[in-house]
Amino acid sequence: MKKKNENSRPRRFEKWVVKGSAALDRHLMRELEAGVGEKPFESERIVRREEHREEMRARAWLNERLIYIKLHERMRTKGERRIHAVYMLLATFAVILIIGALLYTVSQMPPSGSPDAPAFNTVAERYIENGLEETGAVNIVAGMILDYRAFDTLGESNVLFLAICSVLLLLRVKLDRKGGVVEGPPGSGEDDLRYEPQDDMILQNLADVLVPFILLLGLYIVFNGHLSPGGGFSGGAVMGAGLILYVNAHGYSGTRRFRLFSYGMFRWATFAALAFYAMSKCYSFFTGANHLKSIVGTGTAGSIFSAGLILPLNICVGFVVAFTMYGFYTLFRKGDF
Amino acid sequence: MMEWIRFGICAALMLTGLAAMCIAVIGVFRFRFVLNRMHAAGMMDTLGMLACSLGLFAAKGFSLESLKLLLAVAVLWCTSPISSHLIARLVLASENIKEYLEVRR
Repeated sequence: MKKKNENSRPRRFEKWVVKGSAALDRHLMRELEAGVGEKPFESERIVRREEHREEMRARAWLNERLIYIKLHERMRTKGERRIHAVYMLLATFAVILIIGALLYTVSQMPPSGSPDAPAFNTVAERYIENGLEETGAVNIVAGMILDYRAFDTLGESNVLFLAICSVLLLLRVKLDRKGGVVEGPPGSGEDDLRYEPQDDMILQNLADVLVPFILLLGLYIVFNGHLSPGGGFSGGAVMGAGLILYVNAHGYSGTRRFRLFSYGMFRWATFAALAFYAMSKCYSFFTGANHLKSIVGTGTAGSIFSAGLILPLNICVGFVVAFTMYGFYTLFRKGDF
Repeated sequence: MMEWIRFGICAALMLTGLAAMCIAVIGVFRFRFVLNRMHAAGMMDTLGMLACSLGLFAAKGFSLESLKLLLAVAVLWCTSPISSHLIARLVLASENIKEYLEVRR
């Protein structure tokens, strides 16, 4: 009975508070006893960290200098220098040409608000009048971006995918199970992670309550995308934010339980979502261009299983967005999933 | 008569909330140290949001939309103090806090 009380939440919280304040008091006393040293009002840890940073900065500067010298040694011969000059001239010329062409195009556009502006054409009318019966989506915006302009949305999802790919290339640090660095750029193990407050009980309790609701809200927005405002992008962003909150509260061991959020899982989920999107759109383009009847009908407008391919495509986009947000967060913070 | 009373309550609550938010914004820009600014910004999220939402609640009456407003207030009251708490812990861990605590004679 007594043991159970020892480990109850209020007791643990009390212990945490008391331990923290005692440690702070001891620290203060030690500093006071040490008296006025070389750096009187800075704790040891901060000094050490500053020194370390200084050292790392010096090393990085040296590296950069070496690369610079090496590059310039290569440009010593006359011919190479001439080629370089020509290249610079051509590049400047090309950039000026592009800027001029763009500015000329802008100056030829009709003034904003004029009735013959390209925005006021028959396409918008068609979307509003025939959108419901052609796509079956009550939410006209979802019908537009995932049916009429689904190819454009595939491009947007691919932009997210490419962004996370480049971040992976630049920032990925391979960690072993205990958090040590296996491979990665030099100095990548020395991150700020260890200075951050960890295992905060208040945040953990809040996350336990809030995260399920946040994930549920995100799923609702994704699954109801063709009926109400929302869809894959906004719902995925909500889900990603919930995952980030959970990681902040419980650490990476919490999300890595059941191997749900590993690198391989991320790779396969993103690939599967994008591939399914592309395949299903291929199918619908094929049937539409050849005037065939698609297997996936539009259904009755307003029910959850309606609007043809919009619901599965929303789910795909939602997965890609959620994984991208979570991946960005973890990569920028730690360098691995 | 009833409508005027309702309007009065709504206006008073909204003005209270907006005043709290204005004070908070001034505080965020006037103070220099992180913890002081955090103290000012925390008031905006809790008191200002509560008063504004209650004002809208009074204007709208009891309906689904106003219940959603109360839900938003509940979520903000959970999250905002905790974000302030985390910022405070981070400051305690990373900043040289004693420099600010020193009493100058």
